[in-house]
Amino acid sequence: MMRDTQDTETSLAMISVEGVDKWYGQNQVLFDIDLQIAEGEMLCLIGPSGSGKSTLLRCINHLEEINTGRIRVGGDLIGYREKRGRLHELREKEACLQRVGIGMVFQQFNLFPHMTAMENIAFAPMKIKGVSRAEAEKRARTILERVGLGTKGNSYPSQLSGGQQQRVAIARAVALQPRVLLFDEPTSALDPELVGEVLEVMKDLVRTSQMTIVVVTHEMGFAREVADRVVFMADGRIIEQGAPRDVLDNPQNERTREFLSAVIR
Amino acid sequence: MTDTAAPRVNGTPEQATRPIKLNVVPVRHYGRAILAIVSAYALFSVVVGLWTNPNIEWPIVGEFLFSPSILTGLGSTLKISAVSMVVALVLAVIIAVMRISPSRIVSGFAAAYVFLFRGVPMIVLLIFVGNLGLFFKEFSLGVPFTDVALWSVPVKDVMTPFLASVIGLSLAGSGYMAEIVRGGLLSIGRGQHEAAKALGLNGNQALRYIVLPQALKVLLPPMGNELISMLKASAVVSVIAGGDLLTVALGISSVNFRTIELLIVATIWYLIVITILTIAQYFVEKRTAER
Repeated sequence: MMRDTQDTETSLAMISVEGVDKWYGQNQVLFDIDLQIAEGEMLCLIGPSGSGKSTLLRCINHLEEINTGRIRVGGDLIGYREKRGRLHELREKEACLQRVGIGMVFQQFNLFPHMTAMENIAFAPMKIKGVSRAEAEKRARTILERVGLGTKGNSYPSQLSGGQQQRVAIARAVALQPRVLLFDEPTSALDPELVGEVLEVMKDLVRTSQMTIVVVTHEMGFAREVADRVVFMADGRIIEQGAPRDVLDNPQNERTREFLSAVIR
Repeated sequence: MTDTAAPRVNGTPEQATRPIKLNVVPVRHYGRAILAIVSAYALFSVVVGLWTNPNIEWPIVGEFLFSPSILTGLGSTLKISAVSMVVALVLAVIIAVMRISPSRIVSGFAAAYVFLFRGVPMIVLLIFVGNLGLFFKEFSLGVPFTDVALWSVPVKDVMTPFLASVIGLSLAGSGYMAEIVRGGLLSIGRGQHEAAKALGLNGNQALRYIVLPQALKVLLPPMGNELISMLKASAVVSVIAGGDLLTVALGISSVNFRTIELLIVATIWYLIVITILTIAQYFVEKRTAER
């Protein structure tokens, strides 16, 4: 699908998803997704499991390849370069550079188990950005304190609770000072009593940073409180979107109503 | 053991400063008892048989155990094994990484390498390498399909028994080790690769800083065993007169006809070195497991 690459909406958006289809083998999981996310916006992606919201998120930092359409972050085409109407795959170096600007927090934390919390956070700034060890560790300490783990710098992930691990993972993503931060169901793998501490850290980030944040979540209370916009997806399509109050409290679509009544009891 | 101990009545309850044992008649394990007796008898008869055998002169064992030539042979064995271990390990990591390459040609080459060097018996491989001079006259670096040679050297000048031993052992060992390393690399979950990618690490950095250090922990026990068996396997180089412990022991015995005594000398040294390596392996594994 060819689209005008320079329309005005695109150039204003931090993240721009245009006409994206995604297939896994013979299964189509995303259908013609269009989504513009403004700089500094906080967007929550909600929907039943298998609706394609995580896949869409993973396409934004090119962990998954799309089959049609374009995804741009900060105006740059993700994963490709377009020359004379054809897409050329980016060299590894360029692809890595793009990802540095896009932080990601995973459902399963994916901390590096052989590194302490401090090393997990300071590692990428040192290796990727060439920050000195002293500087990287100083910054890591500041970030650790912000996520309430100032005393846990020397702990290995296995010595931390799930909630603490996820907070370290958030710190690790933030340490590279990305323009965009993606959260893939950050609280779904946590014990219920640990969800709150992670959500608090995320709320703090939303309030105090300029980052564009996209969160795939099932936490409707969180979405209502801090999201600028809520997007409801089902069966690989965007069904409904708008301000949290509108989508969550006054859903227009039957699918959205069904989903919300099942989630909010 | 407990089989013979009669059940006793416990002390009075009011004195219970220690845990009180339930008053139980234990099950008798007759099979276990018979096996214990048989094994004790077997051990006893082997030791007595060796010790009292008139054909084995133990003073000769004592005489040669610390003889300079035996110690030199032991030194060669250690040197050959150590160098081969390092070379094999490096080759194994390279081949394992090639094996998981997306390029079919690269991974096919690695698969063929593993197939060949794991399939050919080590002793055959060693004899091949030891006699390389018979079918290759010289090593040369030149332009293919022309006679232009940039550098060349006769094979028989460089292919010392030591070098041949190291090459043979390394190639054979690396075939096995490459599969172990590959298993270790594959044991690291997708989440780790994705996390590394999402942070902007490239493939090499992810491998070096994230995947390999974690794989090492999985690799260590089988790799330790592989290294220890390489020391044992190094005895095979005696077929190409590698100058190792066994070569020396056999050399001496061909002069004084004390074959068994000298084999005992060699055996004692192999067991000592392997015991030391096993203890080292235990501590290395314990340290890695703690992290």
